[in-house]
Amino acid sequence: MQPEALGTRAPRAPLLEVEGLFVSYGAITALKDVTLSVGQGEVVALIGANGAGKTSTLRAVSGLLKPAKGTVRLRGDDITGLKANLVVGKGLAHAPEGRGIFPNLTVQENLDLGAWLRRDTAEIANDLEQSFARFPVLKARRLQLAGTLSGGEQQMLAISRALMSRPTLLLLDEPSLGLAPQVTQTIFRMLREVNAAGMSILLVEQNAHLALNLAHWAYVLETGELVMQGGGKDLLASEAIRKAYLGE
Amino acid sequence: MRLSLLLACAAVFTFGCEKKTTNTDPKPADVKQAVGDTPKPADAKPAEEVLLLGEVGSLTGSEAAFGVSTRDGIAMAIDEANEAGGVKGKKLAVRVYDDQSKPEEAASAVTRLITQDKVLVILGEVASSNSLAMAPKAQEAKIPMISPSSTNPKVTEVGDYIFRVCFIDPFQGYVMAKYSHDELKFKDVAILTDKKSAYSEGLTEVFKRKFTEMGGKISGVESYAKGDTDFRAQLTNIKKLRPQGLYVPGYYQDVAVIAEQARELGLKVTMMGGDGWDSAKLFELGGTAVVGSYVSNHYSADDPSPRVQEFIKKYQARYKTTPDSLAALGYDAARVAIDAMKRATELTGPAIRDQIATTKDFPGVAGTITLDANRNPVKPAVVLKVEEGKFTYVSTVAP
Amino acid sequence: MLYDLAQHLINAVASGTIYALVALGYTMVYGVLKLINFAHGDVMMVGVYVGYAVAFLLGRQAASSFLGFMAVFLVAMLACAVLGFIIERFAYRPLREKSRLTALITAIGISFALSYGFQLDVTLTKARDEVTQAEGYRLTSTPCATGDEHCVTILPGAAARRFPTIIESVEWVNIASADGLNEVRLLNWQVMSFLIAVGLMVALQVLVFRTRFGKAMRAVSHDHRTAALLGIPVDTVIAGTFMLGSALAAGAGILYAIKDKQVQPLMGMYVGLKAFVAAVIGGIGNLKGAVTGALLLGLCEEGVVWFGSSSWRDAVAFGFLIIVLLVRPEGLFGRYVPEKV
Repeated sequence: MQPEALGTRAPRAPLLEVEGLFVSYGAITALKDVTLSVGQGEVVALIGANGAGKTSTLRAVSGLLKPAKGTVRLRGDDITGLKANLVVGKGLAHAPEGRGIFPNLTVQENLDLGAWLRRDTAEIANDLEQSFARFPVLKARRLQLAGTLSGGEQQMLAISRALMSRPTLLLLDEPSLGLAPQVTQTIFRMLREVNAAGMSILLVEQNAHLALNLAHWAYVLETGELVMQGGGKDLLASEAIRKAYLGE
Repeated sequence: MRLSLLLACAAVFTFGCEKKTTNTDPKPADVKQAVGDTPKPADAKPAEEVLLLGEVGSLTGSEAAFGVSTRDGIAMAIDEANEAGGVKGKKLAVRVYDDQSKPEEAASAVTRLITQDKVLVILGEVASSNSLAMAPKAQEAKIPMISPSSTNPKVTEVGDYIFRVCFIDPFQGYVMAKYSHDELKFKDVAILTDKKSAYSEGLTEVFKRKFTEMGGKISGVESYAKGDTDFRAQLTNIKKLRPQGLYVPGYYQDVAVIAEQARELGLKVTMMGGDGWDSAKLFELGGTAVVGSYVSNHYSADDPSPRVQEFIKKYQARYKTTPDSLAALGYDAARVAIDAMKRATELTGPAIRDQIATTKDFPGVAGTITLDANRNPVKPAVVLKVEEGKFTYVSTVAP
Repeated sequence: MLYDLAQHLINAVASGTIYALVALGYTMVYGVLKLINFAHGDVMMVGVYVGYAVAFLLGRQAASSFLGFMAVFLVAMLACAVLGFIIERFAYRPLREKSRLTALITAIGISFALSYGFQLDVTLTKARDEVTQAEGYRLTSTPCATGDEHCVTILPGAAARRFPTIIESVEWVNIASADGLNEVRLLNWQVMSFLIAVGLMVALQVLVFRTRFGKAMRAVSHDHRTAALLGIPVDTVIAGTFMLGSALAAGAGILYAIKDKQVQPLMGMYVGLKAFVAAVIGGIGNLKGAVTGALLLGLCEEGVVWFGSSSWRDAVAFGFLIIVLLVRPEGLFGRYVPEKV
């Protein structure tokens, strides 16, 4: 089921296509018939209240959850139900909720693991330098255990690590959670840069204001179902959205 | 790699053929076996013609070797009695049930002997735990039961129908205390005891008391728990005490390791023990480290007394092997029962019981038997010396 | 007093290093699976029997040569790695998403299956004429006749058997006091055992902290979902960890058999329990903790016997565990030292 669209979407080559996705935990259905897409070079936001099914959507896409029904295609390849460690190889990186950094490993080791599937040593070193250039604080703490980093630094690490696999699509789950406003700004600035360089992003964010500002297109989830979609700016301007998600 | 495959095969083989491999004895587990001149006593002929004894033993399972020796000793005693004319003009036969070395099987076997086969006397078991499972049933049915070799004092405490022909555990403590004091002239002995075993604790307690009474000194008592395999800490402590002797009333499996580790630590001391040492495994596990030790036991094939040597000759002629103490005790138990049946005025449980109770100076091969008020024999023990691969007789200690 | 101290220390370190090797396996598997692998001690026992069989097949001469000695270790470790793989693949992996309790009960079941399975009798008979190698070895179910050195019962019933001598006991150090009343003895195999144990621990340390696999292992131990999101093949890493732990257990088992000279099917439960206690004292899931806990347990056991009564050995060891758990429920190295595996 596709809700009515607000505004128009610029045509792009499809990258991720999710069709009729159902996910259930035992008797509870978490996602009902979710259909969405992310185009090449597009930032797509998924907003909604707690428990609306945003994280479940990301997990079903990246292979952490087996959908009960529906298909997930990446660049036309059917990746439905593929194990998470195999999905990564298809060019998809998922920075999970709660950052998912390994506190018992050093910053450097965390980043190395991001490039687990890659064998191009020279290019990896190059990407590592790029991460350090983006977030110099990570370079300074390279040999520190990741568990000793501040929340913001951990989020920087989580995103940098996800980028180490050189994905074509980045799945981000609540990157602003628990962060100071300045840090959040730094991170969103960086996301904009990365997107400008060609990376597609599927972003789950509670801070709807931030998300809609960044996103080209956005979907609104309510109790497992898509209820609205539209251009980021269009949704930001919509009365219903402002009431429900922007606290106005 | 080849070997791990081999082992995998072995594992499959074992799990696949569990029945076959656990019952190494060729007879099926539930064997009914009769020995004597009449091959099928109860089934083939009227019950009046044959006097039936019952036996419960471990013919399969972990203690199969014990049960088989005992059965052979009993069978020989029955045949000899029949050759000598039987009892009151009637032939004897024995019905044997296998309890697979399990107390619950022993209990059901004894019930079958009493209710189904209506035996006059029950012989068995070797292991005290199995005898303890059988005794209440025999007591209740007023059928006398004689255990050939259960040494735990509790067995005969079950009731006045339960007897044994072996000495009880604490006696061995006395035997070794006396031998080490009088013969080895030890003044100073340390003890290493298995605190988890009632047997070991029983021997230790009596040894300690008697040796002190005789004027000796116990320089230290260390303990271990069954299952331990590292005794170095205790032995290091004992070494410092410099005792002349070390009393280790444990089982052969632990004793062998203790002896070996003592030697490695440079502890040069004469070790002493009880019948728990009595197994060929002692030599396999302990190598030469156990050589030179002394143990108390029920019987020795080296005992020069003519009574013992005659028994050995007959047994070897029949079974082509030297009888161990279990065979000797089985033989004694059967003969004590037969002797009582001969003396009894009528062949009922109570009448036979009364006669067994008055057994006095009975010439058993494992010592002369006089049963006391607690239905335990007052009889001597032998002291054996451990040599390479065998035990040799050195002395007999009277109670 | 000094002599006593030295001798007791030697004893304690000898036990402690072996506990440590076994405890490392517990702690590694707990790390990656959050599962107390109760079958771990029994895997060790199987390793000892494999070593036993190798030593038997080689014969006494060959087994006590350097190559034979290595063969006993390597084959036992390899066989246990395979066993660890099989157990993980067929018993634990299908239950990974089920409740923790299910896996725990399965572990206990496997422990019993191994320790009681090995009480059954299977006999391995060496061809009498050793030239006819084509005949190889035969498996039979008849017990060996006493004195037949061509016959050995593998899966040898409940009875303990002597572990073949794969290293002749030689006294390397003997320091005696002037009056000859006190002495300290150090034997060759005590030193070798210690070196082998330390060698294995160093190798493990390098593997865990210096290699790609080790990095993946530590990542999986913290969060296997996130590890999978990075492309780490979680199943392979878990299987590898099991194999590694099992191989270490086999090595520990052989050292144990050299030390205490006998093998029996229930030895795994006994040593396993001690090693488990050591792992918990150190903080389960933590490598340094496992080693420290094991050495402390060895010292504690030895100290109790030295100063107090040997009857209290296990009571004090387990009492020590209770105190540690009361004061620091996470164990000595739990949580705060983050090199968790």
